[in-house]
Amino acid sequence: MIRFILNRLLMALPTVVIVSITVFALIRFIPGDPAALMLGDMATPDQVAGMRTELGLDKSMPEQFLVWSGNVLTGDFGRSIVNDEPVLPLVVSRFMVSAEIVIIAVVLASLIAVPAGMIAAWRQNSWTDLVLVGTATVLLSIPTFWLGLLLLLFFGLKLGWLPVLGYVSIGDNVVGGLLYLVLPIMTLVIHEAGVLIRMARASTLEVLRLDYITHARAKGLSESAVLWKHAFKNAFGPTWTMIGLILGNLLGGIAVIETVFTIPGLGRLMVDSIFQRDYPVIQGCLLFVALSYVVVNLIVDLLYPLFDPRVVAE
Amino acid sequence: MKTILLAGTILMSVAGVSAARDIVIAQSSDLRSSNPGVNRDGNTDGVILHIVEGLVGYANNGEVKPLLAQSFDMSSDGQTYTFKLRPDVKFHNGKTLTADDVVWNWNRYLDPATKWTCLKDFDGSATLKVTGIKAVDTTTVSMTLDKPSAVFLGLMSRPECGYTGMISPDSIAADGTFDKPIGTGPFKWDEWKKGEYIHLSKFDQYVSPTNDGKPDGMVGSKRPLVDGIKFMVIPDASTVKAGLQSGVLDTAEISPDLIPEFEKSETAQVIISQNNGKNLFYIQTRDPVMAKPGLRRAIAMALDLDELVAAASNGTGKANGSMVSSDSLYFSETQQTRLPYDLEAAKKELADSGYKGEPISIIANKRGNVPSFPAAVIAQAMLQQIGLNVQIEVLDYATQVDRRRSGNYQIISQSVAPRLDPALMYSFYVGDKDKNASLMWDSPKAIELMKAAYAEIDTAKRQAIFDEFHELMLQEMPGIFLYDMIDVWGASKSLKGQPVWQSNARLWEVSLDK
Repeated sequence: MIRFILNRLLMALPTVVIVSITVFALIRFIPGDPAALMLGDMATPDQVAGMRTELGLDKSMPEQFLVWSGNVLTGDFGRSIVNDEPVLPLVVSRFMVSAEIVIIAVVLASLIAVPAGMIAAWRQNSWTDLVLVGTATVLLSIPTFWLGLLLLLFFGLKLGWLPVLGYVSIGDNVVGGLLYLVLPIMTLVIHEAGVLIRMARASTLEVLRLDYITHARAKGLSESAVLWKHAFKNAFGPTWTMIGLILGNLLGGIAVIETVFTIPGLGRLMVDSIFQRDYPVIQGCLLFVALSYVVVNLIVDLLYPLFDPRVVAE
Repeated sequence: MKTILLAGTILMSVAGVSAARDIVIAQSSDLRSSNPGVNRDGNTDGVILHIVEGLVGYANNGEVKPLLAQSFDMSSDGQTYTFKLRPDVKFHNGKTLTADDVVWNWNRYLDPATKWTCLKDFDGSATLKVTGIKAVDTTTVSMTLDKPSAVFLGLMSRPECGYTGMISPDSIAADGTFDKPIGTGPFKWDEWKKGEYIHLSKFDQYVSPTNDGKPDGMVGSKRPLVDGIKFMVIPDASTVKAGLQSGVLDTAEISPDLIPEFEKSETAQVIISQNNGKNLFYIQTRDPVMAKPGLRRAIAMALDLDELVAAASNGTGKANGSMVSSDSLYFSETQQTRLPYDLEAAKKELADSGYKGEPISIIANKRGNVPSFPAAVIAQAMLQQIGLNVQIEVLDYATQVDRRRSGNYQIISQSVAPRLDPALMYSFYVGDKDKNASLMWDSPKAIELMKAAYAEIDTAKRQAIFDEFHELMLQEMPGIFLYDMIDVWGASKSLKGQPVWQSNARLWEVSLDK
């Protein structure tokens, strides 16, 4: 098992290196000078040049990359160009905010979508199936920012039940914090449930056609026993992989939701940093996202044998 | 249903979501730093404005008036300024402001280690040099300059300089690093939750400078009328709109296209305020096509400026073809003249300039709070009428800044932040392009006039300089000034007072109905 984990982490290394180089180069190819943006309208060319030297931007790109990657290996992700904050604590604190929302949303979406998908498969070609599949298709087709704004207008403005903007950490105020999370979580749950319902349905349909299910039915087992006891474990495997992918994707990619609901998460930090050409923060965010993707998928793979014992970690 | 509604309402109140009697305001980005005049942007300046004060400050008409100073005098040679401090000024830590504090602050600002944004304006590398600062007695400070300057007081009052705000030496931590701003303003620093909000609380011991009962720019009556201010970081315009409509936000900048909706609203109001910033077409006079003054004049005459401004500003702006703002004390009759809207004359100038249908590109960006894109679109349509081949290139703001700084453009639809003295406004556009490619106009005569405006202290003589400059600009047309910037803000109906000044939040003398 430990060898498997080490192997997987070693396999991830080239991914992280490629991501680092790509991000490092691409952000520098985009026009826009962080030093000029930082100093504003009144800066003279001399001041901008001085700031570029101070930030190390006057060095060649390979030289900058070597300095940055060397520092990263020692745990120093650099400091933000915009506000001089150390990047790693900044990224971690913002990541925790995003993770809080994403993990709750993915768990809730899975709890809703997996049974719904299985029921749709069980009742294939019935009205239940049609309604569930139709609903899922509609849900996954709605852009999240639009859905978020609709929910915000309805629950925040029309009904006045939920706060329309702001963020309170659950650590500071449990009830208040949860209230601020309801709308962003609801938006994500609605959208991701659509994806997962279709996945769960498809994988359950495949399993229900297998001989061992026919055998179980022939033994006289009830439909619920067939479905939950025999079909579920095998059908859940592919959905579990999908949940892992969604989780990894969302952990660094809910910038739109965070912007609409004014949540200080990792996605918003990344977008703001891109507009401000804050190179160290952009690099730190994307490297962190790549790492979290690797870790989440590793955890998913390690847990896979729980649902499908045929798959062994080694 | 009623039960559910009641439950929702109770839940909200239990969670303490409803704020106290603070003014809650949205701003599009977080604070850069709390250190006045060091690592700043427009939003940072807006927060700092409430915390610190300088010796002097701008009034609405661009005049510089005493703020922490009770009075100031200039020596006959124009090189020594003596500031008499108000005796009633206290820092937020309760200590009284003294002349020694002023000397300490100025020495700190002039120390390169502070990284003050405006250092170049006072250390001799730009125009003037502060050669001496000394405390004459506990309430008198004298400052000497290397030469007379008309803009010395104006420069130190600028937002970009952190208003050269006086902070208590206790603002610096024991290890020499900046801790927090302990100023003298009507609100004091309270809390900064990065990425979320900045909270300032009311300074109970605040005493306004001499005033006639009304706010006047950075001076005048400055009473804090609420318990505090919460600046919330909200980058998304739709969320700001929802926040204003729901009453969570008390005020914020809104897009001009929301004016009709807010005017009809029962809960919200629109606040429109002109500032000294400029919306203009910034022209590259060294571009092969744009180099001919005749072509630039043809462009200016082909634009129906009144129509263009009305459309680009949603009816809020008024055409002003001068670099001098229309509410400046220097906005004379000469400043009000502009080239006529005359298509026939424009066509003639165009033909005389030898224009042969070469493409002309207008760079624009789509930031919601500036008219860059709509102004470019309207101008494109107007300029096509005289046969100009105009295209629009839409860029993100950072790229636009890059293009302007490198001089790589033909026309940029640009907005420039307020500068209250015309000479300071000139310095954004005028100068040697070989040394600074971002400048617009390098006419030797214009440079000479700008330098004269920097040095001349007499108001009447300055007016003559500004008028001559304007007439020269109409001849050479290095850029086309459209209108003074307009702040369009939304606010809840319960907000009383004027929450914006020169594009920055200004929340003293602003209250909320109970």
